[in-house]
Amino acid sequence: MTAKRLRAIALLAISIVFLLAWAFPIIWSVLNSLKTDSDVLAYPPKLVFSPTLEAYRDVLFGSGSILPNLLSSAIISVGTTIVTMLMAVPAAYALARLRFHGKKFAGFYLLATQMLPPVGIIIPYFLVLRNIGWIDTYQGIILIYLSFSLPFAIWLLVSYFEDIPFEMEEAAYLDGASRLKTLWRIIIPQVRGGIAVTVVFVFLNAWNEFLFAVVLSGNTVRPVTVAMFNFVSVEQTLWAKLAAVSVLAMLPVVVLGVVAQKHIVKGLTVGAVKGGGRR
Amino acid sequence: MTTSAVTSADIARETPRSDFGRILAQRERRFAAALLAPAFLALLATTTFPLLFLVYTSAFRMDLAMPFTNGFVGFENYQVLLSDERFWTSLLVSLVYTGSTVALQVIIGLALALLVMDMKRGQGWFRVIAILPVVLSPAVVGMIWRTFMLAPEFGIVDFLAINAGLGSKNWLGDPTLAMVSVIAIHTWQWTPFAFMVLLASLASLPEDIYEAARLDRASAWQRFRRITLPLLRPAIVMVIIMRTMVALTAFAAIFTVTGGGPGTATEILNLYAYRKSFTELSIGYGAALAVALLIVTIIISGILFALRRAK
Repeated sequence: MTAKRLRAIALLAISIVFLLAWAFPIIWSVLNSLKTDSDVLAYPPKLVFSPTLEAYRDVLFGSGSILPNLLSSAIISVGTTIVTMLMAVPAAYALARLRFHGKKFAGFYLLATQMLPPVGIIIPYFLVLRNIGWIDTYQGIILIYLSFSLPFAIWLLVSYFEDIPFEMEEAAYLDGASRLKTLWRIIIPQVRGGIAVTVVFVFLNAWNEFLFAVVLSGNTVRPVTVAMFNFVSVEQTLWAKLAAVSVLAMLPVVVLGVVAQKHIVKGLTVGAVKGGGRR
Repeated sequence: MTTSAVTSADIARETPRSDFGRILAQRERRFAAALLAPAFLALLATTTFPLLFLVYTSAFRMDLAMPFTNGFVGFENYQVLLSDERFWTSLLVSLVYTGSTVALQVIIGLALALLVMDMKRGQGWFRVIAILPVVLSPAVVGMIWRTFMLAPEFGIVDFLAINAGLGSKNWLGDPTLAMVSVIAIHTWQWTPFAFMVLLASLASLPEDIYEAARLDRASAWQRFRRITLPLLRPAIVMVIIMRTMVALTAFAAIFTVTGGGPGTATEILNLYAYRKSFTELSIGYGAALAVALLIVTIIISGILFALRRAK
């Protein structure tokens, strides 16, 4: 029996080490955001300290406030989500439900677009957007975000559309409702849950994107992931403020991630070519 | 299709020559085209057009810093690339980074999934905490690690190293340690992904096979080798393919933590293409590097898909 006990204890220890390893960097950032700079720099690292909200007050309302950057991130993410959904919902419905020539090719094309490295998209787009004066604009960033958000949203929505029964739309259609009306009135309400999950993920990906943002942002449009760098310079690092900005940048996505917890695996693996069935 | 209702598509199929059926099928096609058009036009504009324009750009010398030298050079960028030591180094760094991060994610993720699967209590903790790293922006993750974890002395990793008797290390200033650091950070962020996917696949495996194996007195190792692994293979391969594609184009975390440095120690090909284009402003040559990255991506995914088909 002791061998069994030892094994159980070992497994428990391993579990705790891993949970800590994943959670700790995040918890540590939160703790550091509640410290003064001298407390952040203390050696050995301080777990017990008198918390202060000073860093948050400074980064939100002091000079060089990151409120405009949080707003930038929000506008980009909401904008990308709206445009993506308006295009992806009809396309996903057609792919999941209708019969037309070239359906296979459309699916293949959707997968193939994801092979192109983002850096290969941004190099030519930088030249194009520079010529039309769309660097440092919301429309420039949102347009290029469609390159990754559209294929993702379409795949995810297709998987939800495929789950709803045919009878409803057929009945409505035979009753003489137009196709568009059927789609809007009958079908979309049935995939409301799937649409909500897709919205969460599209928002999340847009909020987190960095490469396109760093190339296309300027003084007007500067999302928080890019603005973070204001707090780390060669001369000095504003430790507590940097921690506070990191926490503010993490907050929305962590909340969304936990809310969409049940759907996260589906959201992460969507568009992946399904491994063959059981053999 | 398990529907009793007669669909328009059925009618179209059953009576291909009837006008009614043909009109219905035609209407369906038109409706589909109208629904697909916006999304696919946007995709053409944001993926296919840039690809063509990228290849076109790579045939030019396009130096934003020295515009007077610009012009059509044909394949010259590619000739330069093939004898460019920095290119070959960055390709090697890419392969090391991708190979090691993907292997670590799959091995640790699978081990944890097997461990958590047998837990009576506490699965919920894993499910919630595993979500945290994967929803974070890699740029923010990089920033946290660069500062609060890896900074000398007050950084937690360094603190642990000192207490383990290793002494304080220059984690991001030493070429080898910097590479180890960026690999560790990527692994930290994405192992939960492999873990969650593999845990979900494990949970969907049929119980009765294991019951039969137990009756046959198969050892735990045998059960793993002969049952679990073969059944999980599709999921494992899928994780490998997905994570490989992501690792090849990793950017934000490395950019934030080391910027590709020290020197070019952590400069993966993706980062080299970026630096060449946007730091050194040689857009034409940067485009050639991006095309090279695309070719590498296609070759590697081709190999992986071939392996997937092979038994």
